Amino acid sequence: MNLLAPIASGTIVTVAAVLAGLLVLAYILKMRRRRFEVPFSTLWQRVLKEKEATSLWRHLKRLLSLLLLVTMVGLLLFAALEPELGGAREDARSIVIIVDASASMKTIDEGEDGTKSRMDAAREQVLLLLDGMNADDAIMLMRMDGRATPMSRFHGDLAKHRKTLSTIEASDTPANLTASLSAAADALRWRKKPQILLIGDGAYSEDALASATWEKVAEAAPSPADGASEPKEPSFKDKQLASVDLAGIDVRYQPVGKAANNVGIISFNVRRYISNKLNYEVFIEIQNFSEEPATRRLVLFNGDSEIDVKTIELAPGQRITKIYPDLGGGAESVLRARIESVEDEASDAFALDDEAWALMPENKRQNVLLVSEDNLYMEGALLIFDHLEVDKLAPEEYEAALAANELPEYDAVIYHAYTPENILPAPTHLLYFNPSGPHSPFPITGTLNRGRITQVSETHPVTRWLEMSDVNFDKLSTFAVDASAAEVSLFQSIRSSVAAAKKEGRRKVAAFGFGLEGTDVMLRVAFPLMMVNTLDWFAGADSDLITTYTTGRPARVPLDGTYGISEVLVTTPSGANQKAPLREGYATFFAAEVGVHQLVARQGGEDVAEIQLAANLSSASESDIEPSAELSLGGKKLDAPVIGSATPRQSLWIYLCLMVLFLLIVEWYTFNRRITV
Amino acid sequence: MARSAKKSSKVEDDRSSLFDEEFLKKLEYLHMVSRKTFVGQNRADRRMRKIGSGIEFADHRKYSTGDDFRYIDWNVYGRIDKLLLRLFEEEEDLHIYILLDASKSMLIGEPLKLHYAMQMAAALTYVGLANLDRVGIIPFAENLGAHLPVARGKGRIFKVFDFLRGIEAGGPTKLEEATKSFIHRYKRKGLVVIISDFYDPSGFEEGINSLRYNGFEPFVLQIYDEKEVNPSFHGDLTLVDCETGSSKEITVSKSLIEAYKREHEKYCAELSDFCSSKNIPYFRTHTKIDFDELVLKIFRLGGFLK
Repeated sequence: MNLLAPIASGTIVTVAAVLAGLLVLAYILKMRRRRFEVPFSTLWQRVLKEKEATSLWRHLKRLLSLLLLVTMVGLLLFAALEPELGGAREDARSIVIIVDASASMKTIDEGEDGTKSRMDAAREQVLLLLDGMNADDAIMLMRMDGRATPMSRFHGDLAKHRKTLSTIEASDTPANLTASLSAAADALRWRKKPQILLIGDGAYSEDALASATWEKVAEAAPSPADGASEPKEPSFKDKQLASVDLAGIDVRYQPVGKAANNVGIISFNVRRYISNKLNYEVFIEIQNFSEEPATRRLVLFNGDSEIDVKTIELAPGQRITKIYPDLGGGAESVLRARIESVEDEASDAFALDDEAWALMPENKRQNVLLVSEDNLYMEGALLIFDHLEVDKLAPEEYEAALAANELPEYDAVIYHAYTPENILPAPTHLLYFNPSGPHSPFPITGTLNRGRITQVSETHPVTRWLEMSDVNFDKLSTFAVDASAAEVSLFQSIRSSVAAAKKEGRRKVAAFGFGLEGTDVMLRVAFPLMMVNTLDWFAGADSDLITTYTTGRPARVPLDGTYGISEVLVTTPSGANQKAPLREGYATFFAAEVGVHQLVARQGGEDVAEIQLAANLSSASESDIEPSAELSLGGKKLDAPVIGSATPRQSLWIYLCLMVLFLLIVEWYTFNRRITV
Repeated sequence: MARSAKKSSKVEDDRSSLFDEEFLKKLEYLHMVSRKTFVGQNRADRRMRKIGSGIEFADHRKYSTGDDFRYIDWNVYGRIDKLLLRLFEEEEDLHIYILLDASKSMLIGEPLKLHYAMQMAAALTYVGLANLDRVGIIPFAENLGAHLPVARGKGRIFKVFDFLRGIEAGGPTKLEEATKSFIHRYKRKGLVVIISDFYDPSGFEEGINSLRYNGFEPFVLQIYDEKEVNPSFHGDLTLVDCETGSSKEITVSKSLIEAYKREHEKYCAELSDFCSSKNIPYFRTHTKIDFDELVLKIFRLGGFLK
C-alpha cells in the first residue's frame, strides 16, 4: 500500500489532535445520564455485584460510542492520505509530462490525410504513454505555451490525467521551454527516479535548448578572478540563474508533426510621424520557413479597407522586410497585414502567423484656447500642427466670455503672460507661460535674472527630445514644487525649478517660468517640440507608447488617469473577458491570443480610461514549424520515451469513506437502541 | 447525540373511581361465590387454633396440679394408668387484620400497585364482614399508619371504602418494625393478611416470623407490576430508589436486564419458599390480573375461607 500524502504529515497530526480533543469533549458532554426511578434498588445492586467480574467489558462497552467516533475520524484522516493498493515497487517513477501547447501545435499536418493538428497528435501520444505507466508512477501533467502551467499534482490516477489532458488546447503563444523545464525540474526535486517527458514539435528557440545543464550547477568551476588576457566568463551566480539544472533527471522527447511548409509574418508595426501626426509608416517582416520557394500576396488593411496589395516571392528560408512610408488618410487606427496564397500554390499548414495586427497611437484632434495678447511666435507654433483647432482671446475678452459663460468646451487652454483668477473647469488642461501673482499654479518663490536652464527632466513626456542649455532668458520665475503631491520639475536652473507639471484629478497642468518676451526660446527647435510634447501629454497621446505586443510575454501598459484603480478589464479578440492587475497607472497585460485586445479601467461604474492593444505571434522560432525528430538539450540528445505495460492501481479513499458511513449508521443504530449513549 | 434526562413516568394517584358501583357488584358476586362454593355450613365461623372450651376434641396433655378434674380423660386413665387432660378447640369470632403496604414503592405501576392492593383489601374485607368476621385494616410503611378499627357487619363496607381512599402513602417499607408495632397494639389473635410488594431492604422474614411467634396467622399476598420485572430502559442511567433516594450509575444492557429478571424471580421464590416452609398461604400477582379473579383463586386454594 502506498500513501500519496497530498497533505503534510504535520497538518494531519495537528488535525488529528484537535479532532480527538473535540471528540473526547463531546463524549464527556454526552455522558450526562438519564435518571430512572426504581421501586427496589437492592435487586439491581445484587445484580451488579454478580456483574463485577465482567466490569472491564462493561467499561469497554460504555466506551463503544467514543471508540466508534475515534475510528471514524481515524479513517477519514487515513483517507486524506490517499492510500492506494498495489504495494510499493522499487522502480516507481516520478514523471512530469510536458505537453507542448504552443502556437506551432496548431499546425495542421498530422493524420493520414494531413487534416489533424499537432495538438491532437500530442494528446494521442500522451494517452499512449499514460496507458503504459506503472501503477506506482506518480505523474504530473504540465502545459507548455508562453507560460508553464501545472495541470495536476503528482498522482497515479490515469482516469483523472486523461480528463485533464482533454482540456489542454494549443494557444497563440510561443513555447517557453526554459520556464517549463525549470518548473518540471523544481517539481521533481527530491523525488525518486525523476523523469521528464516532453511531447511537442521541437519548435523551440536555440537559447532555450542551450539553457539546460546536465551537471550540478554547484559543481561548475567558477571563472578565474583575474583573467586579464582571457575573455571574462559569466559569474557563478549568472550561470546558476540562467541555466536549468537537469542533473539526475531522465529527460525524454516524443516528437509530433510532419514536415510542413510555412510562410509567416514575423514582425509588424506602425508609427506616426512626429511632424505630421496624420501620416504613418508601416514595418513588416516576412519569412519563408520552407525548403521550397514560395509566392504570397501581401495585403495591408486599414480597418476593413485594403490600402495596399503586393505579390511577394520568397526563396527558401528568405526573410524580407517591407516598409510602407508616408501612409495616411485611413480613418481607422487598426492596421492588419495578411499573407494569402496565390492561385497555383496551396496555403501553408500554419495559419496563425499569416495575419498580424498593429495599432496606431491615437491622434486626437484638440480644441485649444490661447489667451494672450497678440504674439506671432506663439500663434505660429500652434499653426503648424494639423490636429489642433486654435481659438485666440485677449485676456479681457476671456474674462468677459467666462463671466458670460459663453466659452465652449476646450481640451486645453494656454495662458501666455496672464494668470487669471477664474479658470475653465476640469478636465480642461492648462498651460501657463510666465505665470504671476497668487493664482499661479505653482507658488512663485523668486526671480532669476539672466538665468539659464541647467537641467531638463529626462523622464517626463513634456521634455522629451528637448535641448535647453543654450537658450537665453532675460528673466526666469522660480516655482515651489511639491514632490510629495506628485508635482514634477521640468526645467531647473541650478536646483531652482523654472518649469513644472502636475495632475489635478483628470486635469493636467504645466507652467513655464518664462514668456516669449526677453528670450530666444521661440527661435529654437525646442519651442515647437515643447508645445507639441505638452499638448500630446495633455491629450494622452504618447509617441513612445507601444501598442503592438508579442503573445506569451507580459507587457506593462500605461493607462492615463487610473491612479487608485487596481484592476483593468481585458476583452480578448475571441470576446472573452478577463481581469488584469493595474498598479500606479500601469496595467500588467499578458496576451494569450493573436488579435486586438481592449483594456478598460473603470471606477464607480464609469470608464476612466481605455486602450487598444494588438498582439501578434511574432516568433521566428515558433513559425519555423519544421518538426524536430530529434532534440538536443544542453548538448545532449534526448531519447524517446519507452511505452510499457500498465499495472492496475486501486485507490482506497472511497472505501474508507464508505466504511465511515457504515460506522455512522452503526453509531446511529446503537444509539437509538440505547446500546451506546 | 446527547439525550435529555428522562424520569420514569408516574401514574396519577386518583382514587375517586376505585370503589364505584361496578366494584361493589363484584364484591357481592364474590361473596355469593364464596358462600356457595367454599363454605359448607350456615355460619361461616372460622375456628381459631386455640385450645379452650369448645366441643371438638383437639388433643391430650399431662395433668398438672390445679387443672380442672372435669376434663380428665378417665377412659385413658383406665387403659394406660396415666392422668391426661382432654383439650378442645375453642370456638370464637375470627379477627382478620389486613396489613396494607402504603410505602412509596406501592405508588409505582400502571395501575398503581397501591390501588390494586386497596381493591384487594376491600374485597377481602367485604367477604370477611359478610361472613360475620371482625375485620380491621392497618396501613403501614416504615411504621403503622392510621387504622380502621376492627368491626363486623357488611354494612361497614362504605366506611372501609372511605378509609381506603384516605390512606396517605409514602415512606420506605419496614415490615419488621410495622409488625412489631402491630403485635403490641393488637392483642387479639387472628388472621393477618399482608398485602405488599415486600420490597424491604432489611428482608421480609423477621416481619412475618414475629407475627407467627405471637400467635397470629400470616397470609401473604405479594403484588408487583409487570414493568418492574421487565424494565424497558437501556444504556447509561442513574437508577434512583424511590423509597430510600439512593442512586446508582449503571449501564443497562440486555444481559443485565436478563440478570435482573432472574434476580427478581429469585427474590419472589425466596418469599414463596419461606411461606411454604412455614405453612403460610402465599399468593403472588401482578396488577394486570383482575382483582376478583385473584380473590376467587384465593378462595379456591383455601386459607382465607374455611
